Amino acid sequence: MTRPSPGDPVALSTSNEAMTAHVSAVPFRAQPFAHYWLAVAPFGALTGVLLGSILYLFYAGVGIWGIDWPVAWGFALINYVWWIAIASGGTFISALFYLTRSEWRNAINRIAETMTLFGAACAGIYPILHLGRPWFFYWLFPYPNTMGLWPQFRSPLLWDFFAILTYVTSSVLFWYFGLLPDLATMRDRATSRRWQVFYGALALGFRGSSTQWRHYHVTYGVLAAIMAPLVCSVHSIVGLDFAGAATPGWHSTQFPPFFIFGAFLSGFATVLLLVMALRRLLNLQAWMTGRHLDVLCKLMLTSSLFVGYAYVMDGFTVFYGGEKADIVNYTARLFGYYAPVYWGAVLFNVMLPQLLWVRALRVNQLLVTLLCCGVIVGMWFERYTIVVISLHRPHLPSAWGLYHGSLWDWLTLMGTAGLFVFGILLAIRIIPAMSMFEMRETLEQRR
Amino acid sequence: MRIVVGAFPDETAMQAALGRLREAGFNAIETYGPKPAGEGHSPLPLVILAGGLFGAALGFWWQTHETVQAYPLDIGGRPLFSWPAYVPIALEIGILLAIASGVFGFFVVNRMPRLWEPVDDAPAMRRATSDRWCIAITTETPEQARHALWRFAALEVDEVAA
Repeated sequence: MTRPSPGDPVALSTSNEAMTAHVSAVPFRAQPFAHYWLAVAPFGALTGVLLGSILYLFYAGVGIWGIDWPVAWGFALINYVWWIAIASGGTFISALFYLTRSEWRNAINRIAETMTLFGAACAGIYPILHLGRPWFFYWLFPYPNTMGLWPQFRSPLLWDFFAILTYVTSSVLFWYFGLLPDLATMRDRATSRRWQVFYGALALGFRGSSTQWRHYHVTYGVLAAIMAPLVCSVHSIVGLDFAGAATPGWHSTQFPPFFIFGAFLSGFATVLLLVMALRRLLNLQAWMTGRHLDVLCKLMLTSSLFVGYAYVMDGFTVFYGGEKADIVNYTARLFGYYAPVYWGAVLFNVMLPQLLWVRALRVNQLLVTLLCCGVIVGMWFERYTIVVISLHRPHLPSAWGLYHGSLWDWLTLMGTAGLFVFGILLAIRIIPAMSMFEMRETLEQRR
Repeated sequence: MRIVVGAFPDETAMQAALGRLREAGFNAIETYGPKPAGEGHSPLPLVILAGGLFGAALGFWWQTHETVQAYPLDIGGRPLFSWPAYVPIALEIGILLAIASGVFGFFVVNRMPRLWEPVDDAPAMRRATSDRWCIAITTETPEQARHALWRFAALEVDEVAA
């Protein structure tokens, strides 16, 4: 296989038969790949670590974490925002670039949507874990109860509960709806009874009749047009969780768009990382070409510029506003105990991605992998900055304090990273890793 | 009644045969193919709109009812009917119901899940979700349909009971 180049066409091979045979062969185990179990084992083990730390948390309570006054929101909230941001990038690629009819989108939307699913699953765990009494999480849901109580509908935290509920449910539905035609393909190509029954049941009788396609095409377009703004609303509401509080460092009207910019940056970086890994693991180089890497790098660069703008405005509004507590808080961010975390975020999210201005570097997979990992770590630093640095300098100096994550915090974080990769690796063994029916349209246009 | 299924190598060939079959007087025709085809009317966008509006209205009413009647909280004399704060949840519930009505509406309109239909027995249909385009004619006179399909360049013709 030749090295990817930014000038590559969106597909190196335009044969529908070859594409369908190759993509559907993976779930049927027709082409065993040796590295697979090597890749699965460590992430499966990490998922076990996650289960262990959750069980211990349920046994011992949130006291095993590093949280205390004044930093009462620690890793749980950092990780929650970080994961939901990563998830958002996947929906954005799948839905928005469907609406813009971008030809490169069809090869990677399945990976992006699957990433969204597991990112959202990892994110969804944390708000429940951080509750202290997680078995009462359903109290967030407004239901008639014997206590005569209702949740506070004016609180962004409750908005967030509904936003995440909607986002996770809609992502699953959108993902499954997009899978239907491919599940039908898998059903019809299956040679063993077991797989025919499995995919046949999942395909729900989709058989590609013109009536089905007519309704399908229209519905998919409308759903995509709803999913794109949904992502923005979800991440805006996550931003409002913070902006709604009067805490210095949080109380800012720019938070909703700022959070969306960050979501796109980390989401694009994660999709890029997965695309680079999976195209090798599953030999998809013919359909995920240098063009895809080039486009995703450009998207990452663009969102990095957005994030840089938000960082600058963050500082500007503090000094333009002139509120003393805000200035103290911001100065602590720049020069205080946690300053390396903040500057790490600036370095990884804003400075290093500027290398992607150079065309040749955008297809240098080693460099891009490092940059993506940098961005993913940098975005975690950004969430750390927002949550911990803001909280450790509240209005009253008598309440100032430091925070460090405990061993259990770190184990839970690593555990969700394990769950994320483990889930994606399992998913690509069951579902086609590329949207075959949409690729057929792309390939036909290329012919 | 019999179903006669003809398979074609691509969409153009299938469309050409379809036009000529219609001219030849065959009416009960359905086509099958592996990629989206056929622009046309569908009620689903309206279903989605209705679901979304219903969800948003329901969410808004729900919050109004509870903050004004079921559980009024006087917080510094602020108005109970604080409608701007209801917008995010109303929007989210609206989107949730819109997407759910789109997906489930699709199943209802297509009468899915129907895991088996008579046409599935035709061996040609196995490739209609991969790389063949099929025309299925439901007819009392299968012989004529078979001849017509062969004449209009079908690669393969199968006949099954309807």
